[in-house]
Amino acid sequence: MSEVATVATGWGVTFVIVTTYALWVVGRGKAIGRELGIGEQEELDLGSDSSTSANS
Amino acid sequence: MLHEVLLIARKDLRVEWRSKVTLGQVAPMGLLVLVVFAFAFDANTRLLELGAGGLFWVAVLFGGTLLIQRAFEVETDDGNFDAFRMSTIRAPSLFLGKSLGIFIQVVLLELVLGPGIVLLYNVRIDDWLLLLAAALGGTLAFSVCGVLWGVMAAGTRVRATLLPLLLVPILAPVLLAGSRAFETAFGVRAEAGWTWASLMFVIAAVHAAVGMGTFGFLLEES
Amino acid sequence: MSPARGNKYMTASPATRVLGVVAVAAALLMALLGLIVSPADVVQGQAVRMLYLHVPSIWIAYGAFVLTAVSSALFLIRSRRREDSGRHHDRLAGAAAEVGVVFAGITLVTGMLWGRVTWGTYWQWDARLTTTVLLFVTYLGYLALRRLPADPMIRGRRSAVMALISIINVPIVHFSVDWWRTLHQKASLSVGRRPEITGEMYWTLLYSTLAVTIVASWLIVHRYRVIRLEELRDEEALNALIASRLREDE
Repeated sequence: MSEVATVATGWGVTFVIVTTYALWVVGRGKAIGRELGIGEQEELDLGSDSSTSANS
Repeated sequence: MLHEVLLIARKDLRVEWRSKVTLGQVAPMGLLVLVVFAFAFDANTRLLELGAGGLFWVAVLFGGTLLIQRAFEVETDDGNFDAFRMSTIRAPSLFLGKSLGIFIQVVLLELVLGPGIVLLYNVRIDDWLLLLAAALGGTLAFSVCGVLWGVMAAGTRVRATLLPLLLVPILAPVLLAGSRAFETAFGVRAEAGWTWASLMFVIAAVHAAVGMGTFGFLLEES
Repeated sequence: MSPARGNKYMTASPATRVLGVVAVAAALLMALLGLIVSPADVVQGQAVRMLYLHVPSIWIAYGAFVLTAVSSALFLIRSRRREDSGRHHDRLAGAAAEVGVVFAGITLVTGMLWGRVTWGTYWQWDARLTTTVLLFVTYLGYLALRRLPADPMIRGRRSAVMALISIINVPIVHFSVDWWRTLHQKASLSVGRRPEITGEMYWTLLYSTLAVTIVASWLIVHRYRVIRLEELRDEEALNALIASRLREDE
């Protein structure tokens, strides 16, 4: 592989990994949020439970 | 404390003696691993002779990991950890006792593998003292590391696949040091064999200290 | 740090939206500086550009693993004082470790590509590379340990002990180039010594570190929030299970 191709691959792979991971994290958050039904006001109050209270 | 340590070790060894897993299953498997290596290296005698030190320790790693898994299965299957928590035996003693039990079983395994590499890989031993010191250091390190990390993976059904993943990165320096020390003892490499051997004792000491300090805590969490 | 209410991007909040935009901008600027503005190296040629990712990535990985260790220690201290306390430290430990693993992986990949061009080989079994792989696998093991089903406090404490033992790997990797004769070069930058690279490359490297830090921070915050959501979901599932059992008993 030529130098330029290697550099392009390295930067490309890095950006792909980071972007994919970021999308996965955000996507997982959305999915679980949907599961929990968070987004409507009542459920949100249920959502803040004891483990996230005094210490957060 | 010594009394408690011996008590635990004797219990584990008695279980072992009755089931004969080490001698009956693990040691033969270890020998098979040595044979398989010969297949993998296409019976290249020079290569096997040069690599004997490392191959010995890899075989010990495979067999030893099985022994550690078993040492914890024996406890968790019968809920023994609950019994330990309620008994007067202190956690550091339990840690050392289990380590001693493993140590003796791995030594038995090595007594089979050692002659194995001498016979199968045409190894000649130049420095017996270094060899024994390295074997001792490596086995001590393996035992204490194995018990410490074994308890972290213990009490769960997935431990058989998790334990090697946790254990191998920790044991990699021991594997490295043991291989280099053995190779020096076999005369195939001119290296600081004693430095490597002492590194293993240091690793063993550090893990023993950490183990004694945290075992009780970790036991509560299993 | 709590997520905004009533929006469909569950882990977002006004602050992290800003952070996210800054992160993207910083990354793009890093690409501009690293790939175009900064010069090629006299010796390494274009390959030097790989270092603007490789070096910051491992530093961020170190930092992330240190954060994991510190959070683990805080978690152990907090949970001693009061049961079910300090969970946020445990979550941060997990989030930081995962991001650390991602960047350690990037370090290895970019390093291998760089090595292919400069040393002619993807891999060498020298001390720095070997210890870095072990670091990576060690924290993969940590992540696996965290996934074991268990009571969150128990799982948290067990993981915390592992994190505190495993952190010793970080100085071992970093100083391995000094302790053993290695193929990998010694540090170009360290605290208290004059840098061995100069000019535009030096500044590009420093800036890249900043950019990668911003990106990693955004990732850690979001991963933390997702962990919190996961715990919420597990608790609700458990509560639902208990409730249905109670109904059966009636």
